[in-house]
Order: sequence, then C-alpha cells, then structure tokens
Amino acid sequence: MLGYQLTEEQKDLIQGQYYAPYQFFNCVQDINGVWFLFLSDEDKPEVEASEYAWVFDLPEAEYIPPPPPPFPPVS
Amino acid sequence: MILSSHGLIASSISGVDADWLAYYNRVVTAGGSLTTTEQSATLQLVLDLKANSLWTPMKAIYPMVGASAAACAQNLKSSSFTGTFTSGWTFASTGVTPLASYMNTGFNLSTQIGSNPLNMSFYNRTNNSLSQGEIGCYNNPAGTTDNEILINYSGVFYGFNSPSKYVSISNSDSRGFYQLNAQALNLKAFKNSSQFGATVSLTTYTSTNLNVYVGGINNNGTLTTPSTKECAFASIGDGLTDTQAGNFYTAVQAFQTTLSRQV
Repeated sequence: MLGYQLTEEQKDLIQGQYYAPYQFFNCVQDINGVWFLFLSDEDKPEVEASEYAWVFDLPEAEYIPPPPPPFPPVS
Repeated sequence: MILSSHGLIASSISGVDADWLAYYNRVVTAGGSLTTTEQSATLQLVLDLKANSLWTPMKAIYPMVGASAAACAQNLKSSSFTGTFTSGWTFASTGVTPLASYMNTGFNLSTQIGSNPLNMSFYNRTNNSLSQGEIGCYNNPAGTTDNEILINYSGVFYGFNSPSKYVSISNSDSRGFYQLNAQALNLKAFKNSSQFGATVSLTTYTSTNLNVYVGGINNNGTLTTPSTKECAFASIGDGLTDTQAGNFYTAVQAFQTTLSRQV
C-alpha cells in the first residue's frame, strides 16, 4: 500500500500533533525503518486546512510493514 | 423519541433515557451528528444493556456511529475515556477501518480495572486471515502483562489475560462479535453467542498499566500488530457472567441489525 514517506526530521515535526479535535498524526516505520504517514480520504480535507498541508508534497512510496512479533509472547 | 440529526442540543427532553441523552449531546457538542436510525439504535442499545444488567459493568462503550471522528470518539457510557484517532482511519456508516492507525481510548487498564475481572469486546466486519491485533495493550518485553484480542493471529484466535494465560483456537471466518472475558478466575473467549475455545484457569487477574488501543495493540505506547478490520463496536468493562456475555452479544447484534451492518 502507498503512503507518504518522511525523513526523521519531518516525522518529528508532526508525530502526535493534532490536525483536528479528535485526530492526530501517527507515523509508522516500514520493514527498513523508514517513516510513513497514511491519510484516509476523511483525513485529507482536515489536514489540507491545517498548518500541516505540506505533508501532501511528500513523496509517496510502497509501504512494507515489519513482520509481526511472535505470539503468544514467551515469559 | 428521536431528535433532529443536526445541531440540536437536547438538555431537557422528558421520556428519553438520561444517559443516552448525555451521549447524544456529547456527539453534537463535539461537532458530530447521528442519523435518526443511529439515534434510535444507540438509544435502544442503552435500554437493552440496562435491562440485562450490563450497563453498570461497562466502563467504555464505543458504538462507532456517526461516520466521523468526532462522533465515533464518544463513549456511550460516560464523558470519560473519549477516544482520539490517529491519522489513517476511514469513518463510514458501517463502522471505522484503520490503516496503520489506532484509537487511543485513554482507558488505563491498571488504573481502571486493576486486579479485577475484565471484559473487552470488538465487533469485526472484515473477514481476513492477516496476523493482526484488534484491541488491547501489552508490556514489552513480553512476559509482563497482556490484555488483548487478536482475532486471527497467524490463523489462530488469541485472547490474552496474561502472557501465559490465553485462549487459542482456529478461526476460519474472522467476522463477528468477540469478547475476552475473565470471571471467577476463568478466562473465556466468546465469538457471537458461543464460547470460543476452552476455558483457561487463572490464579489472578492481570491488568496492563497502559491505555487500551482499538485498531491495534498498545505496546508501551507504540502501535503494534495494526489491524485492517472494520470495527463496528468496541467496549471495555468489568468481567461478565456467561449469561451476561450471551446477553451482551444479543444486545450488540440487535444494535447492528438496526443499523443494517450486522455480520
């Protein structure tokens, strides 16, 4: 799936920041530790109207998630 | 009695359940709205939960109606534990769907449940076999505490109460209403109206000192095992008896049926 790719510095600018009263940015790392941001169609107008509209200029790239941790966890 | 779907703050309408009215007002005040069907469905859900002695055990109830973050963030039970959504969620009349995202309930299990019995639930409308987690939290490194529902993790359902106390069972169709329930030092999972897997004996109740996430698992403040399953209801509360767990499913399924989104 496609997401917006961020540098570490760009991630630090938006991580945890609210762009709407009940919504905030959360960036996730891919399998290689690269930061990604995902925005739904519902998110986009809110972000567009915020001070964070610059995220739409970020390059889009294919996101490959890290492998899930083993379950059940071992004591 | 059904209220207007836009902008009406109803503070003193007789004949309407006061708890539902407070919830409705929270939705509108937050900038959300409910259709008339969503209003009647949530009202009937409150009445059904109360009629079946389920209202009191519930601490946080997220009906996931209103097709917006403002509406879906609201806790039906009280003004506490209003959720906050990360980026990536899709909000629809059928529920909410995460994409590498989560809702932070603000509900710290250790603080709110402590060493008491726990019930958590998740209504899933998506059939997939991806290794994901749907609701809960755990401490890392593994081996501390786990309270989570993983509907179809590596093809197996896991409902954890602690690292070594979990229910596992094959799950061929991941859609349905899931409950992880601890009561009388027994850990049970329920899928729809039936117990799902075997009963696991507990020696104590364990609660993780973290907020519960919906749409993935909170691992010490970081989202792990993110889900892509559409959530149409989630809750956290005290442990239920088997009869209560069955009645809980009946009430939630009736709620979903009213909304034409039952699975």
